[in-house]
Amino acid sequence: MSRDRIAPALSFAIVLALWEWAARAGWVADYIVPAPSTIVVHIYSTFGLLLRHSYITALEVGLGFLLAVVGGIGIAMAMVYVKTVESVVYPWVVVSQVIPKVAIGPLLLMWLGFGLVPKVVIAFLVAFFPILVGAMIGFRSVEREPLFLLRSMGSSRWQTFWHLQVPTALPNIFAGMKVAITLAVVGAIVGEFIGANVGLGYLLLYANGIIDTKLLFAALVMISVLAMIAYWLVALAERLFIPWHVSVRQDTARPTL
Amino acid sequence: MSALHLHEVSKTFALKERQVVALQDISIAVKEQEFVSIVGPSGCGKSTLLLLTAGLESPTAGRIVVDGRPVIAPITDVGIVFQRDVLFDWRTIVGNVMLQADIRRLPRGPALRKTHALLEKVGLAGFEQAYPWQLSGGMRQRVAICRALLHDASLLLMDEPFGALDALTRDQMALDLLRIWSDDRRTALFITHDIAEAVFLSDRVLVMSPRPGRIVADIRIDLPRPRELDIRDEPDFIEYQRKIRKLFESLRVIG
Repeated sequence: MSRDRIAPALSFAIVLALWEWAARAGWVADYIVPAPSTIVVHIYSTFGLLLRHSYITALEVGLGFLLAVVGGIGIAMAMVYVKTVESVVYPWVVVSQVIPKVAIGPLLLMWLGFGLVPKVVIAFLVAFFPILVGAMIGFRSVEREPLFLLRSMGSSRWQTFWHLQVPTALPNIFAGMKVAITLAVVGAIVGEFIGANVGLGYLLLYANGIIDTKLLFAALVMISVLAMIAYWLVALAERLFIPWHVSVRQDTARPTL
Repeated sequence: MSALHLHEVSKTFALKERQVVALQDISIAVKEQEFVSIVGPSGCGKSTLLLLTAGLESPTAGRIVVDGRPVIAPITDVGIVFQRDVLFDWRTIVGNVMLQADIRRLPRGPALRKTHALLEKVGLAGFEQAYPWQLSGGMRQRVAICRALLHDASLLLMDEPFGALDALTRDQMALDLLRIWSDDRRTALFITHDIAEAVFLSDRVLVMSPRPGRIVADIRIDLPRPRELDIRDEPDFIEYQRKIRKLFESLRVIG
Protein backbone atom coordinates (compact mmCIF):
# COMPACT_ATOMS: atom_id res chain seq x y z
CA MET A 1 0.00 0.00 0.00
CA SER A 2 1.31 3.41 -0.89
CA ARG A 3 1.85 6.10 1.71
CA ASP A 4 -1.11 8.23 0.66
CA ARG A 5 -3.40 5.27 1.32
CA ILE A 6 -1.94 4.23 4.66
CA ALA A 7 -2.45 7.61 6.30
CA PRO A 8 -6.23 7.91 5.76
CA ALA A 9 -6.76 4.21 6.57
CA LEU A 10 -4.83 4.65 9.80
CA SER A 11 -6.75 7.75 10.88
CA PHE A 12 -10.02 5.96 10.16
CA ALA A 13 -8.90 2.95 12.24
CA ILE A 14 -7.84 5.15 15.16
CA VAL A 15 -11.19 6.96 15.29
CA LEU A 16 -13.07 3.65 15.18
CA ALA A 17 -10.86 2.18 17.90
CA LEU A 18 -11.39 5.20 20.18
CA TRP A 19 -15.13 5.05 19.56
CA GLU A 20 -15.24 1.33 20.33
CA TRP A 21 -13.18 1.82 23.47
CA ALA A 22 -15.35 4.74 24.66
CA ALA A 23 -18.52 2.73 24.14
CA ARG A 24 -17.21 -0.39 25.88
CA ALA A 25 -15.81 1.56 28.81
CA GLY A 26 -19.34 2.80 29.38
CA TRP A 27 -18.58 6.46 28.76
CA VAL A 28 -21.69 6.76 26.66
CA ALA A 29 -24.81 4.66 27.04
CA ASP A 30 -25.37 1.96 24.44
CA TYR A 31 -28.77 3.38 23.48
CA ILE A 32 -27.22 6.78 22.72
CA VAL A 33 -24.08 5.77 20.79
CA PRO A 34 -23.65 2.02 20.21
CA ALA A 35 -20.15 0.61 19.66
CA PRO A 36 -19.02 0.20 16.03
CA SER A 37 -18.83 -3.56 16.46
CA THR A 38 -22.45 -3.61 17.64
CA ILE A 39 -23.50 -1.60 14.58
CA VAL A 40 -21.64 -3.97 12.26
CA VAL A 41 -23.30 -6.98 13.85
CA HIS A 42 -26.68 -5.27 13.59
CA ILE A 43 -26.16 -4.45 9.93
CA TYR A 44 -25.30 -8.09 9.34
CA SER A 45 -28.35 -9.43 11.13
CA THR A 46 -30.79 -6.98 9.47
CA PHE A 47 -29.12 -6.90 6.09
CA GLY A 48 -32.15 -8.11 4.13
CA LEU A 49 -34.30 -5.36 5.58
CA LEU A 50 -31.62 -2.69 5.03
CA LEU A 51 -31.11 -3.80 1.46
CA ARG A 52 -34.83 -3.60 0.68
CA HIS A 53 -35.00 -0.01 1.93
CA SER A 54 -31.67 0.88 0.28
CA TYR A 55 -32.99 -0.33 -3.05
CA ILE A 56 -35.91 2.09 -2.94
CA THR A 57 -33.72 5.04 -1.92
CA ALA A 58 -31.16 4.15 -4.59
CA LEU A 59 -33.95 4.05 -7.17
CA GLU A 60 -35.17 7.51 -6.13
CA VAL A 61 -31.63 8.92 -6.19
CA GLY A 62 -30.83 7.31 -9.54
CA LEU A 63 -34.03 8.47 -11.27
CA GLY A 64 -33.84 11.96 -9.79
CA PHE A 65 -30.20 12.29 -10.81
CA LEU A 66 -30.80 11.03 -14.36
CA LEU A 67 -33.65 13.48 -14.78
CA ALA A 68 -31.39 16.22 -13.42
CA VAL A 69 -28.66 15.34 -15.95
CA VAL A 70 -31.08 15.33 -18.89
CA GLY A 71 -33.00 18.38 -17.66
CA GLY A 72 -29.95 20.37 -16.54
CA ILE A 73 -28.01 19.86 -19.75
CA GLY A 74 -31.10 20.29 -21.92
CA ILE A 75 -32.18 23.56 -20.29
CA ALA A 76 -28.58 24.84 -20.32
CA MET A 77 -28.29 24.15 -24.06
CA ALA A 78 -31.58 25.89 -24.78
CA MET A 79 -30.49 28.89 -22.72
CA VAL A 80 -27.03 29.15 -24.23
CA TYR A 81 -28.11 28.75 -27.85
CA VAL A 82 -31.45 30.58 -27.83
CA LYS A 83 -31.22 34.03 -26.31
CA THR A 84 -34.94 34.44 -25.54
CA VAL A 85 -35.05 31.12 -23.71
CA GLU A 86 -32.45 32.40 -21.27
CA SER A 87 -34.29 35.62 -20.46
CA VAL A 88 -37.58 33.76 -20.00
CA VAL A 89 -36.45 30.56 -18.26
CA TYR A 90 -33.55 31.67 -16.07
CA PRO A 91 -35.64 33.65 -13.54
CA TRP A 92 -37.88 30.60 -13.09
CA VAL A 93 -34.85 28.40 -12.54
CA VAL A 94 -33.55 30.76 -9.87
CA VAL A 95 -36.99 30.90 -8.23
CA SER A 96 -37.08 27.08 -8.18
CA GLN A 97 -33.77 27.16 -6.31
CA VAL A 98 -34.53 29.81 -3.71
CA ILE A 99 -37.68 28.02 -2.54
CA PRO A 100 -36.56 25.55 0.13
CA LYS A 101 -37.37 22.08 -1.10
CA VAL A 102 -38.14 20.89 2.43
CA ALA A 103 -40.81 23.57 2.61
CA ILE A 104 -42.60 22.51 -0.58
CA GLY A 105 -42.12 18.81 0.18
CA PRO A 106 -45.52 18.42 1.89
CA LEU A 107 -47.15 20.17 -1.05
CA LEU A 108 -45.42 17.84 -3.51
CA LEU A 109 -46.64 14.87 -1.51
CA MET A 110 -50.17 16.21 -1.62
CA TRP A 111 -49.97 16.64 -5.38
CA LEU A 112 -48.01 13.56 -6.33
CA GLY A 113 -49.05 11.00 -3.75
CA PHE A 114 -47.17 9.01 -1.19
CA GLY A 115 -45.00 6.87 -3.46
CA LEU A 116 -41.79 7.11 -5.43
CA VAL A 117 -42.65 10.15 -7.58
CA PRO A 118 -42.43 13.04 -5.06
CA LYS A 119 -39.03 11.79 -3.82
CA VAL A 120 -37.72 11.58 -7.37
CA VAL A 121 -39.03 15.09 -7.99
CA ILE A 122 -37.34 16.50 -4.87
CA ALA A 123 -34.06 14.75 -5.74
CA PHE A 124 -34.35 16.19 -9.26
CA LEU A 125 -35.12 19.71 -8.00
CA VAL A 126 -32.05 19.88 -5.77
CA ALA A 127 -29.73 18.10 -8.22
CA PHE A 128 -30.42 19.81 -11.54
CA PHE A 129 -29.19 23.29 -10.64
CA PRO A 130 -25.44 22.54 -10.29
CA ILE A 131 -25.57 20.54 -13.53
CA LEU A 132 -27.36 23.38 -15.29
CA VAL A 133 -24.83 25.95 -14.07
CA GLY A 134 -21.90 23.70 -15.00
CA ALA A 135 -23.31 23.04 -18.45
CA MET A 136 -24.01 26.73 -19.07
CA ILE A 137 -20.45 27.69 -18.18
CA GLY A 138 -19.17 24.77 -20.23
CA PHE A 139 -21.11 25.53 -23.41
CA ARG A 140 -20.10 29.19 -23.10
CA SER A 141 -16.39 28.37 -22.74
CA VAL A 142 -15.84 27.77 -26.45
CA GLU A 143 -13.19 30.17 -27.73
CA ARG A 144 -12.94 32.05 -31.00
CA GLU A 145 -10.02 30.32 -32.73
CA PRO A 146 -11.34 26.75 -32.61
CA LEU A 147 -14.67 28.06 -33.92
CA PHE A 148 -12.87 29.88 -36.75
CA LEU A 149 -10.88 26.75 -37.49
CA LEU A 150 -14.00 24.61 -37.79
CA ARG A 151 -15.78 27.22 -39.88
CA SER A 152 -12.89 27.22 -42.34
CA MET A 153 -13.40 23.47 -42.65
CA GLY A 154 -17.04 24.00 -43.59
CA SER A 155 -18.27 22.53 -40.32
CA SER A 156 -22.03 22.24 -39.94
CA ARG A 157 -23.75 23.43 -36.76
CA TRP A 158 -24.16 19.86 -35.62
CA GLN A 159 -20.49 19.03 -36.32
CA THR A 160 -19.32 22.08 -34.40
CA PHE A 161 -21.58 21.12 -31.51
CA TRP A 162 -20.41 17.52 -31.43
CA HIS A 163 -16.70 17.99 -32.13
CA LEU A 164 -16.11 21.19 -30.16
CA GLN A 165 -18.90 22.39 -27.91
CA VAL A 166 -19.68 19.07 -26.20
CA PRO A 167 -16.04 18.18 -25.38
CA THR A 168 -15.42 21.76 -24.19
CA ALA A 169 -18.46 21.64 -21.91
CA LEU A 170 -17.94 18.15 -20.45
CA PRO A 171 -15.42 19.02 -17.67
CA ASN A 172 -17.78 21.64 -16.23
CA ILE A 173 -20.79 19.34 -16.63
CA PHE A 174 -18.99 16.64 -14.66
CA ALA A 175 -18.07 19.13 -11.94
CA GLY A 176 -21.77 19.96 -11.67
CA MET A 177 -22.72 16.27 -11.67
CA LYS A 178 -20.38 15.53 -8.77
CA VAL A 179 -22.11 18.16 -6.64
CA ALA A 180 -25.52 17.06 -7.93
CA ILE A 181 -25.19 13.38 -7.03
CA THR A 182 -24.55 14.09 -3.34
CA LEU A 183 -27.45 16.58 -3.34
CA ALA A 184 -29.71 13.99 -4.99
CA VAL A 185 -29.13 11.63 -2.03
CA VAL A 186 -30.05 14.38 0.42
CA GLY A 187 -33.13 15.20 -1.69
CA ALA A 188 -34.38 11.61 -1.67
CA ILE A 189 -33.84 11.23 2.10
CA VAL A 190 -35.63 14.51 2.80
CA GLY A 191 -38.49 13.32 0.60
CA GLU A 192 -38.72 10.15 2.66
CA PHE A 193 -38.63 12.13 5.90
CA ILE A 194 -41.67 14.10 4.82
CA GLY A 195 -43.80 11.10 4.10
CA ALA A 196 -42.94 7.51 3.18
CA ASN A 197 -43.38 3.94 4.32
CA VAL A 198 -40.23 2.62 2.73
CA GLY A 199 -36.66 3.81 2.10
CA LEU A 200 -33.63 4.54 4.27
CA GLY A 201 -34.96 7.97 5.28
CA TYR A 202 -38.16 6.36 6.46
CA LEU A 203 -36.19 3.65 8.29
CA LEU A 204 -34.09 6.31 10.01
CA LEU A 205 -37.17 8.16 11.27
CA TYR A 206 -38.81 4.89 12.31
CA ALA A 207 -35.72 3.81 14.28
CA ASN A 208 -35.60 7.23 15.88
CA GLY A 209 -39.25 6.94 16.87
CA ILE A 210 -38.76 3.66 18.72
CA ILE A 211 -35.32 4.73 20.05
CA ASP A 212 -33.59 1.84 18.24
CA THR A 213 -30.16 3.50 17.95
CA LYS A 214 -28.55 0.40 16.49
CA LEU A 215 -31.01 0.41 13.58
CA LEU A 216 -30.64 4.17 13.26
CA PHE A 217 -26.88 3.89 12.91
CA ALA A 218 -27.26 0.94 10.55
CA ALA A 219 -29.49 3.07 8.30
CA LEU A 220 -27.01 5.92 8.56
CA VAL A 221 -24.17 3.65 7.44
CA MET A 222 -26.26 2.43 4.51
CA ILE A 223 -27.06 6.01 3.42
CA SER A 224 -23.35 6.88 3.56
CA VAL A 225 -22.40 3.79 1.58
CA LEU A 226 -25.11 4.53 -0.98
CA ALA A 227 -23.92 8.13 -1.38
CA MET A 228 -20.33 7.01 -1.69
CA ILE A 229 -21.09 4.43 -4.38
CA ALA A 230 -23.18 6.98 -6.28
CA TYR A 231 -20.38 9.55 -6.14
CA TRP A 232 -17.81 6.96 -7.14
CA LEU A 233 -19.90 6.01 -10.19
CA VAL A 234 -19.98 9.64 -11.35
CA ALA A 235 -16.23 10.00 -10.75
CA LEU A 236 -15.68 6.78 -12.74
CA ALA A 237 -17.79 8.10 -15.61
CA GLU A 238 -15.74 11.30 -15.51
CA ARG A 239 -12.51 9.35 -15.87
CA LEU A 240 -14.00 7.39 -18.78
CA PHE A 241 -15.40 10.41 -20.62
CA ILE A 242 -12.73 13.06 -20.11
CA PRO A 243 -9.42 11.24 -19.47
CA TRP A 244 -7.78 14.04 -21.46
CA HIS A 245 -8.77 16.84 -19.11
CA VAL A 246 -6.17 18.48 -16.90
CA SER A 247 -8.18 17.72 -13.75
CA VAL A 248 -8.35 14.00 -14.49
CA ARG A 249 -5.09 13.01 -16.15
CA GLN A 250 -2.32 11.67 -13.96
CA ASP A 251 0.78 13.21 -15.52
CA THR A 252 0.41 16.82 -14.53
CA ALA A 253 2.12 18.55 -11.63
CA ARG A 254 -0.35 19.71 -9.01
CA PRO A 255 -0.38 23.33 -7.98
CA THR A 256 0.81 24.02 -4.45
CA LEU A 257 0.40 26.99 -2.21
CA MET B 1 -4.29 26.96 -57.05
CA SER B 2 -5.78 30.21 -56.10
CA ALA B 3 -4.94 33.83 -56.48
CA LEU B 4 -5.88 36.38 -53.91
CA HIS B 5 -6.95 39.99 -54.32
CA LEU B 6 -7.80 42.62 -51.76
CA HIS B 7 -9.20 45.88 -53.15
CA GLU B 8 -9.04 48.90 -50.87
CA VAL B 9 -10.09 46.92 -47.84
CA SER B 10 -10.76 48.80 -44.62
CA LYS B 11 -11.84 47.55 -41.24
CA THR B 12 -13.14 49.65 -38.39
CA PHE B 13 -13.94 48.33 -34.93
CA ALA B 14 -16.28 49.94 -32.46
CA LEU B 15 -14.55 49.99 -29.10
CA LYS B 16 -17.11 51.31 -26.61
CA GLU B 17 -17.92 54.79 -28.02
CA ARG B 18 -14.73 55.05 -30.03
CA GLN B 19 -14.23 53.98 -33.64
CA VAL B 20 -10.86 52.30 -34.12
CA VAL B 21 -9.55 52.05 -37.67
CA ALA B 22 -7.65 48.76 -37.77
CA LEU B 23 -6.99 48.60 -41.50
CA GLN B 24 -7.09 51.37 -44.08
CA ASP B 25 -7.31 50.96 -47.85
CA ILE B 26 -5.36 47.74 -48.08
CA SER B 27 -4.81 46.50 -51.61
CA ILE B 28 -2.93 43.27 -52.10
CA ALA B 29 -2.55 40.94 -55.04
CA VAL B 30 -1.07 37.52 -54.44
CA LYS B 31 -0.42 35.37 -57.50
CA GLU B 32 -0.94 31.64 -57.66
CA GLN B 33 1.78 29.64 -55.96
CA GLU B 34 3.27 32.77 -54.48
CA PHE B 35 4.52 32.92 -50.88
CA VAL B 36 3.76 36.38 -49.50
CA SER B 37 4.55 37.57 -46.00
CA ILE B 38 3.04 40.52 -44.26
CA VAL B 39 5.35 41.96 -41.67
CA GLY B 40 4.28 44.65 -39.26
CA PRO B 41 4.44 45.79 -35.65
CA SER B 42 2.07 44.23 -33.14
CA GLY B 43 -1.38 45.78 -33.16
CA CYS B 44 -1.20 46.93 -36.79
CA GLY B 45 -4.17 44.78 -37.80
CA LYS B 46 -2.30 42.07 -39.65
CA SER B 47 -4.19 39.27 -37.88
CA THR B 48 -7.45 41.00 -38.78
CA LEU B 49 -6.27 41.05 -42.38
CA LEU B 50 -5.92 37.28 -42.32
CA LEU B 51 -9.36 36.78 -40.79
CA LEU B 52 -10.87 39.03 -43.46
CA THR B 53 -9.15 37.04 -46.19
CA ALA B 54 -10.54 33.81 -44.75
CA GLY B 55 -14.02 35.31 -44.68
CA LEU B 56 -14.17 34.83 -40.91
CA GLU B 57 -14.73 38.55 -40.42
CA SER B 58 -16.18 41.00 -42.91
CA PRO B 59 -14.52 44.22 -44.03
CA THR B 60 -16.08 47.62 -43.36
CA ALA B 61 -15.24 48.63 -46.91
CA GLY B 62 -13.56 47.12 -49.95
CA ARG B 63 -13.62 43.82 -51.76
CA ILE B 64 -11.80 40.54 -51.23
CA VAL B 65 -11.60 38.04 -54.06
CA VAL B 66 -10.15 34.55 -53.79
CA ASP B 67 -9.93 32.44 -56.92
CA GLY B 68 -12.11 34.87 -58.82
CA ARG B 69 -14.94 34.61 -56.27
CA PRO B 70 -15.82 37.40 -53.84
CA VAL B 71 -15.38 36.38 -50.21
CA ILE B 72 -18.67 36.94 -48.39
CA ALA B 73 -18.71 33.89 -46.12
CA PRO B 74 -15.95 31.73 -44.57
CA ILE B 75 -14.00 30.15 -47.42
CA THR B 76 -13.31 26.44 -47.06
CA ASP B 77 -10.69 25.73 -49.72
CA VAL B 78 -8.11 26.95 -47.25
CA GLY B 79 -5.74 25.73 -44.54
CA ILE B 80 -5.31 28.04 -41.56
CA VAL B 81 -2.60 28.04 -38.89
CA PHE B 82 -3.14 30.37 -35.95
CA GLN B 83 -0.59 31.70 -33.49
CA ARG B 84 -2.02 29.39 -30.85
CA ASP B 85 -1.96 25.81 -32.09
CA VAL B 86 -5.69 25.28 -31.33
CA LEU B 87 -5.23 21.54 -30.87
CA PHE B 88 -8.12 19.65 -29.32
CA ASP B 89 -7.06 18.10 -25.99
CA TRP B 90 -9.53 15.24 -26.46
CA ARG B 91 -7.97 14.08 -29.71
CA THR B 92 -4.66 12.29 -30.21
CA ILE B 93 -2.05 13.76 -32.53
CA VAL B 94 -3.38 11.72 -35.44
CA GLY B 95 -6.90 12.64 -34.37
CA ASN B 96 -6.08 16.32 -34.42
CA VAL B 97 -4.74 16.20 -37.96
CA MET B 98 -7.66 13.98 -38.98
CA LEU B 99 -10.13 16.57 -37.68
CA GLN B 100 -9.72 18.19 -41.08
CA ALA B 101 -10.81 14.96 -42.78
CA ASP B 102 -13.58 14.21 -40.26
CA ILE B 103 -15.28 17.58 -40.66
CA ARG B 104 -14.91 17.55 -44.46
CA ARG B 105 -15.97 13.89 -44.62
CA LEU B 106 -12.93 12.93 -46.70
CA PRO B 107 -12.33 9.23 -47.34
CA ARG B 108 -10.66 7.90 -44.19
CA GLY B 109 -8.07 5.56 -45.63
CA PRO B 110 -6.18 8.01 -47.87
CA ALA B 111 -6.52 10.80 -45.29
CA LEU B 112 -4.99 8.57 -42.61
CA ARG B 113 -2.09 7.65 -44.89
CA LYS B 114 -1.48 11.30 -45.67
CA THR B 115 -1.65 12.17 -41.96
CA HIS B 116 1.08 9.66 -41.14
CA ALA B 117 3.21 10.87 -44.05
CA LEU B 118 2.88 14.51 -42.96
CA LEU B 119 3.67 13.74 -39.33
CA GLU B 120 6.71 11.79 -40.43
CA LYS B 121 7.87 14.70 -42.56
CA VAL B 122 7.81 17.13 -39.62
CA GLY B 123 9.61 14.67 -37.34
CA LEU B 124 6.63 13.50 -35.32
CA ALA B 125 6.77 9.81 -36.22
CA GLY B 126 6.24 7.81 -33.04
CA PHE B 127 3.99 10.49 -31.49
CA GLU B 128 0.87 9.56 -33.45
CA GLN B 129 -1.05 8.27 -30.46
CA ALA B 130 0.22 10.89 -27.99
CA TYR B 131 -2.05 13.67 -26.73
CA PRO B 132 -1.34 17.38 -27.28
CA TRP B 133 -0.42 18.08 -23.64
CA GLN B 134 2.38 15.53 -23.89
CA LEU B 135 4.12 17.55 -26.62
CA SER B 136 6.31 20.65 -26.57
CA GLY B 137 5.14 23.95 -28.04
CA GLY B 138 7.10 23.43 -31.26
CA MET B 139 5.78 19.92 -31.73
CA ARG B 140 2.21 21.10 -31.14
CA GLN B 141 2.54 23.81 -33.77
CA ARG B 142 3.90 21.23 -36.22
CA VAL B 143 0.72 19.21 -35.68
CA ALA B 144 -1.32 22.34 -36.40
CA ILE B 145 0.59 22.82 -39.65
CA CYS B 146 -0.01 19.20 -40.69
CA ARG B 147 -3.72 19.73 -39.98
CA ALA B 148 -3.73 22.79 -42.29
CA LEU B 149 -2.05 20.79 -45.07
CA LEU B 150 -4.03 17.55 -44.93
CA HIS B 151 -6.77 18.43 -47.40
CA ASP B 152 -4.56 19.98 -50.11
CA ALA B 153 -6.22 23.37 -49.91
CA SER B 154 -4.99 25.73 -52.60
CA LEU B 155 -4.59 28.60 -50.13
CA LEU B 156 -2.55 28.55 -46.94
CA LEU B 157 -3.12 31.29 -44.34
CA MET B 158 -0.72 31.52 -41.39
CA ASP B 159 -1.02 34.00 -38.55
CA GLU B 160 2.31 34.26 -36.72
CA PRO B 161 2.46 30.47 -36.39
CA PHE B 162 5.94 30.56 -34.85
CA GLY B 163 5.30 33.61 -32.70
CA ALA B 164 5.20 31.70 -29.42
CA LEU B 165 8.29 29.56 -30.07
CA ASP B 166 11.92 29.99 -29.10
CA ALA B 167 14.50 31.17 -31.66
CA LEU B 168 16.03 27.74 -32.37
CA THR B 169 12.67 26.09 -32.83
CA ARG B 170 11.53 28.96 -35.07
CA ASP B 171 14.48 28.39 -37.41
CA GLN B 172 13.75 24.71 -37.66
CA MET B 173 10.03 25.33 -38.19
CA ALA B 174 10.67 27.85 -40.95
CA LEU B 175 12.91 25.34 -42.66
CA ASP B 176 10.36 22.56 -42.32
CA LEU B 177 7.59 24.80 -43.58
CA LEU B 178 9.59 25.77 -46.67
CA ARG B 179 10.37 22.13 -47.47
CA ILE B 180 6.75 21.09 -47.22
CA TRP B 181 5.54 24.14 -49.11
CA SER B 182 8.03 23.51 -51.93
CA ASP B 183 6.47 20.08 -52.56
CA ASP B 184 3.36 21.54 -54.13
CA ARG B 185 3.69 25.34 -53.80
CA ARG B 186 0.32 26.48 -52.62
CA THR B 187 -0.53 30.15 -52.52
CA ALA B 188 0.55 31.23 -49.07
CA LEU B 189 -0.09 34.30 -46.95
CA PHE B 190 2.14 34.45 -43.90
CA ILE B 191 1.71 37.00 -41.11
CA THR B 192 4.71 37.76 -38.91
CA HIS B 193 6.50 40.45 -36.95
CA ASP B 194 9.90 38.85 -37.60
CA ILE B 195 11.76 40.50 -40.49
CA ALA B 196 14.31 37.70 -41.02
CA GLU B 197 11.56 35.08 -40.99
CA ALA B 198 9.57 36.99 -43.60
CA VAL B 199 12.57 37.42 -45.92
CA PHE B 200 13.64 33.81 -45.51
CA LEU B 201 10.25 32.35 -46.41
CA SER B 202 8.80 34.67 -49.00
CA ASP B 203 8.70 35.61 -52.65
CA ARG B 204 7.40 39.00 -51.57
CA VAL B 205 7.28 40.85 -48.28
CA LEU B 206 4.59 43.44 -47.65
CA VAL B 207 5.43 45.93 -44.93
CA MET B 208 2.63 47.32 -42.79
CA SER B 209 2.52 50.53 -40.81
CA PRO B 210 1.30 50.81 -37.22
CA ARG B 211 -2.44 51.35 -36.74
CA PRO B 212 -4.25 52.26 -38.85
CA GLY B 213 -2.58 49.48 -40.80
CA ARG B 214 -1.59 50.36 -44.34
CA ILE B 215 0.75 48.64 -46.78
CA VAL B 216 3.78 50.91 -47.05
CA ALA B 217 6.11 48.75 -49.13
CA ASP B 218 6.01 45.72 -51.40
CA ILE B 219 9.43 44.11 -51.59
CA ARG B 220 10.26 41.33 -54.01
CA ILE B 221 12.70 38.84 -52.53
CA ASP B 222 14.91 37.57 -55.34
CA LEU B 223 16.69 34.80 -53.52
CA PRO B 224 17.06 31.38 -55.13
CA ARG B 225 15.07 28.43 -53.87
CA PRO B 226 15.44 25.96 -52.27
CA ARG B 227 16.74 28.03 -49.39
CA GLU B 228 18.73 26.78 -46.42
CA LEU B 229 19.35 28.62 -43.17
CA ASP B 230 22.81 29.85 -44.18
CA ILE B 231 21.22 32.00 -46.87
CA ARG B 232 20.73 34.47 -44.04
CA ASP B 233 24.45 35.22 -44.13
CA GLU B 234 24.37 36.25 -47.81
CA PRO B 235 24.77 39.98 -48.57
CA ASP B 236 21.47 40.06 -50.47
CA PHE B 237 19.56 38.63 -47.54
CA ILE B 238 21.15 41.09 -45.14
CA GLU B 239 20.36 43.94 -47.51
CA TYR B 240 16.65 42.98 -47.63
CA GLN B 241 16.57 42.82 -43.87
CA ARG B 242 18.27 46.21 -43.59
CA LYS B 243 15.83 47.75 -46.06
CA ILE B 244 12.79 46.59 -44.08
CA ARG B 245 14.33 47.62 -40.78
CA LYS B 246 14.99 51.11 -42.21
CA LEU B 247 11.34 51.29 -43.21
CA PHE B 248 10.28 50.53 -39.66
CA GLU B 249 12.70 53.13 -38.39
CA SER B 250 11.22 55.73 -40.71
CA LEU B 251 7.75 54.70 -39.46
CA ARG B 252 9.06 55.16 -35.91
CA VAL B 253 8.22 51.57 -35.05
CA ILE B 254 11.81 51.03 -33.92
CA GLY B 255 14.79 53.25 -33.33
